[in-house]
Amino acid sequence: MAIGELLNRPKTREKFVPLRKLSPNARREALTGLAFISPWIIGFLVFTIIPMIASLVFSFTNLQLVQETPLQWNNFENYTTMASDPQVGASLAVVLKFGGISLPVGILLPLLLALLMNNRNLKGSPVIRTLFYMPYIVPFVAAVFIWGGMLNSETGWINEALRWFGVLNPPTWVDSTTWVYPAYVIIGIWGIGNSMLIYLASLQNVPTELYDAAKVDGAGPFETLLNVTFPMISPVIFYILVLAVVDLFQYFLVPLVVKNGTGAPNGATMFYNLYLYKTFFVFQNMSYGSALAWVLFIIILAITLVLFKTAKYWVYYAGESNR
Amino acid sequence: MSRYSRFLVLFVMLVLVVSACTKPAATTPAPTTAPAETTQAAAPGGPTAEPLKPGQVEIRWFIGLGTGTDPDQLTAEQEVVDAFNAAHPDIKLVTEIVTYEAAFDQLATEMAAGNPPDIVGPMGVDGAESFHGQWLDLTSLIQKNNYDLTQFDEGAVNFYKTGGEGQLGIPFGIYPSVMYYNKPLFDEAGLNYPPHKYGDKYKWPDGTESEWNYETVQKLAMLLTVDKNGKDASDPAFDAANIVQYGYVPQYQDARAMGSYFGAGSLVAADGKTAQIPPEWAAAWKWIYDGTWKYHFIPDQAVIDSPEMGAGDPFGGGRVAMALTHTWYYSEIALENWDMGVVPSYNGKTTANFNADTFRIMKATKNPDAAFTVLKYLLDDASLKLLNTYGAMPARTADQADYMKALDEKYAWKPDFSVAVAGIKYADNPSFEAWIPNYLEARARVANDFTSMLQSTGGLNMDDEIAKLKSDLQTIYDKKQ
Amino acid sequence: MPSHSKIDANRRKSNWKKALRALMVTGFSLILLALFLSPFLFMVFTSMKSPQQMSAVDAPIWPAKQETFSYQGKDLDVFIVPLPDGTTRRLAMVKPGRTSSVFIDPQNPNGGQITWQGSWRTLKKPWTWSPNWQNFVDVWNLIDFPRLMRNTLFLAIMTEIGVLVSCTLVAYGFARFRFPGRGFLFTLLISTIFLPSAVTTIPTYTFFLKIGWVGTYLPLIIPAFFANAYDVFLLRQYFLTIPHEMDEAAMMDGAGPFRIFWSIILPQSIPVLVAVGIFHFVYAWNDYYNPLIYLSTRPELQPIAVAMSRFNGIHSTNPHLIQATALMALIVPLLIFLLGQRFFMQGIVITGVEK
Repeated sequence: MAIGELLNRPKTREKFVPLRKLSPNARREALTGLAFISPWIIGFLVFTIIPMIASLVFSFTNLQLVQETPLQWNNFENYTTMASDPQVGASLAVVLKFGGISLPVGILLPLLLALLMNNRNLKGSPVIRTLFYMPYIVPFVAAVFIWGGMLNSETGWINEALRWFGVLNPPTWVDSTTWVYPAYVIIGIWGIGNSMLIYLASLQNVPTELYDAAKVDGAGPFETLLNVTFPMISPVIFYILVLAVVDLFQYFLVPLVVKNGTGAPNGATMFYNLYLYKTFFVFQNMSYGSALAWVLFIIILAITLVLFKTAKYWVYYAGESNR
Repeated sequence: MSRYSRFLVLFVMLVLVVSACTKPAATTPAPTTAPAETTQAAAPGGPTAEPLKPGQVEIRWFIGLGTGTDPDQLTAEQEVVDAFNAAHPDIKLVTEIVTYEAAFDQLATEMAAGNPPDIVGPMGVDGAESFHGQWLDLTSLIQKNNYDLTQFDEGAVNFYKTGGEGQLGIPFGIYPSVMYYNKPLFDEAGLNYPPHKYGDKYKWPDGTESEWNYETVQKLAMLLTVDKNGKDASDPAFDAANIVQYGYVPQYQDARAMGSYFGAGSLVAADGKTAQIPPEWAAAWKWIYDGTWKYHFIPDQAVIDSPEMGAGDPFGGGRVAMALTHTWYYSEIALENWDMGVVPSYNGKTTANFNADTFRIMKATKNPDAAFTVLKYLLDDASLKLLNTYGAMPARTADQADYMKALDEKYAWKPDFSVAVAGIKYADNPSFEAWIPNYLEARARVANDFTSMLQSTGGLNMDDEIAKLKSDLQTIYDKKQ
Repeated sequence: MPSHSKIDANRRKSNWKKALRALMVTGFSLILLALFLSPFLFMVFTSMKSPQQMSAVDAPIWPAKQETFSYQGKDLDVFIVPLPDGTTRRLAMVKPGRTSSVFIDPQNPNGGQITWQGSWRTLKKPWTWSPNWQNFVDVWNLIDFPRLMRNTLFLAIMTEIGVLVSCTLVAYGFARFRFPGRGFLFTLLISTIFLPSAVTTIPTYTFFLKIGWVGTYLPLIIPAFFANAYDVFLLRQYFLTIPHEMDEAAMMDGAGPFRIFWSIILPQSIPVLVAVGIFHFVYAWNDYYNPLIYLSTRPELQPIAVAMSRFNGIHSTNPHLIQATALMALIVPLLIFLLGQRFFMQGIVITGVEK
């Protein structure tokens, strides 16, 4: 089976056709599909849509936890305030700076690790895999203390090790505007077990015949990776990418706990979602917080839609409906 | 075909079951108006599993805006609750325990959803001001119950009479300031201990005496700051990169507390809207900043946080000679052979700022009378048990002697608790935690951001930073005007 | 037979090459693992340290006990003291001083005091390996550990069932059927995770309060039965990699959609189902915020993550107790993973239909 043939299947564009205009067969298929997704639709209508709409409504009011001025409809005032709030732009810049390091690391590193864990030459892989996954299970409260101890600029293990290797002035990590991002990325790396697991699961599903076919074609290991493995697991890479973007824009728990939500050093860790959280819970300004949240929603939605558009150029679905 | 229809029948059944289960949801209006009106009725039956007996009301006691959530404190609190419930069949007291870092979010969520607790505490001014305007004025309940306020110091009673909102609390525990010191570290250096009486001077080993002020503290603290070779910070050969012991720490002080030890003041002018920095506060910040980054007798934040230094509790770590903080701390020091000295003076004036904890009743409570019954029980019958577990000094004057006696028996090395009592007279007025405009945002700017900057960023020009703080505060104040 | 020995030699050579490759790959993985797990070692060591060691000046990084000598009712610290005569002895310090300190010899306490010139801070202390198992006993006693485990396990298992059942069905619906508005509904599904939880918490809590579920397990368990975007998205991505030919073949044989789901899609998806299962189990095991907010008045229902945070009070943190609790709580999910990951063996995936 030639790989190229597999990849160049024609794709059909989806068009919205009302249910009643479908042929009986197509209508039956549509109804069956809707039946299968019905648990989610019900859950969405019952548990999700009310909070979403409520927060959207909040964003057009002057709602506070402690309402000092009468509650009123504010039109777009919260949104215009955002435009002149210097912290909004600064926080988005923080997110982008951090994302520049965290995104590539968060997507590629677990993939490389999964490939290593999937290697036939690896002995004792069940135990080694378990150990690589283990840090992901460590509860957040405990992890905060562990990383406090590892990254402390005076007595932390990392700096002790660096000094032992002859580095005279090791970085001050979370107290330095330059090193705080690598420090947070390192903390994040500790939890890559989950993405590794997802990659590992998808690597199982690459049919062995494809590897055999590639071998017959005389492809080396790197070409096989690029031409067989990569396209076959691309749907899962896409999943990891979309979630990494969502996580990046919603990043706030680590800076909230490590630097007590102050954004120290010098505002370098005032991530957008941290600012949102503080506005909402610390400053108790529910309406402005909701406006910040909805702008975040729109930003993530726009990026995700762009990613979905690009997906057709590089994500390969073997099971796409294309009859 | 039959398979399809069977599946569809299953699906329809599922939908029916689910919609039956969630029926109340359909009739519930979207909660867009709920957050503003915290008086709105809560869920019928309350959140407990066991139904209330007829005629019984439930009172929920929320713990977490201050101390009170340690495992051993929980045991004491549960005993108090059980004893109360046994004695009061008409009231069911339940606790809600949320640790400090989650407690503010939790309470905000419950209030916004219209499910607030009845009693909240123990908490200080800071916890209470975070929910400004939500506390019940107790004046009428005090009159109705003939509750005697004269058993407390008048100043302590007035402490809770702020902003024209009435009597928002009844004194419970008070925490004056003291200078804790680690005796073995003084012995090792051959230095005398800090004075134990306000007005006494400090005596140097050569017999000369100095006023007990911050200049003296600095000189003393530098002698008590030691590097790994045993050289102190006043020695030219002192190695600032390898310090193993520090002389002084402003323990658990945020920038407002730091400032007010040099003199009581407020960050807002008398007009209630102009930002100002009291000159004493600016002097205090510079003193601490230089002490940390220039003279090295104060540990910086990275050192304070390191596990070797007590993971955030530097004095308890045993490697700091002096710590200025409030009296609740002595119940938690994991160290022996510490004692207490008096608070130093600045420009000839001593300000020993003051913390006070109590329980407050929320305005939104549906059962103010039952809540007051619980409050009375906590303040009277259960007070000594709770004060002990919280490490608080009783606000009730009559209890203070017994309390001191109990403490004397508790510690084998007999710290001088009279120092703590003597400090009450030097309380700060206005309180360093007192309300300022746009309190939550302004407090975050000064108590979190500015404090963190002082203790973790070296090489700054403090005059510039203080000017920036002032203009930032003005911007924050103006948002709410 | 020359040809045979040649084959043997080739086989030996390839065996040798294989062994070398295994050694290199495994060795590299182990080095990586050592780096990766060093924070975990920090955690284990911390959980075994005594409170005294936590704050000792020159304590080693491993759990250790300082040598002390009991003299006149006091425990004195023992130091390694180099003496003027060139010998080094273990002496107990009676009185520290800046320029000279007073010691006694534990071997000969009545032999009088020895005054040593120099700064005692430059002296080393003898430490011996001594894990403080008492921390684990303390945790067990301070929080009701067995009950917390039961609560946590109950929550994890109930929601696990809900997630696996609902998410596979929904993902199958999105992956295999064409229906009007599918693209829009899928985008809507994904977008439910775009709104930060900070703003949805209060409306969600209000909703559960109105229907009387606050203070029960229901807000934590029931929503799990209605699918979530993370797992549906992952499963749908995976289902889309399963070639369509097998569905069609089964359909020719008269199999209905549910039968195809059950006997073709699910058997081929075991790795991802295991992954989702583990993923959710760990999430439910460590979830702190949701159980806290809905069970804050019901301590007897709370899971381990909520109880653990008690050791992190406002002014008294106990890192050694936190780490001990975390280690004890780690065991169950770790076993689950160890058992589950045996499905990740390349080539032994059970396939419903021969490819």
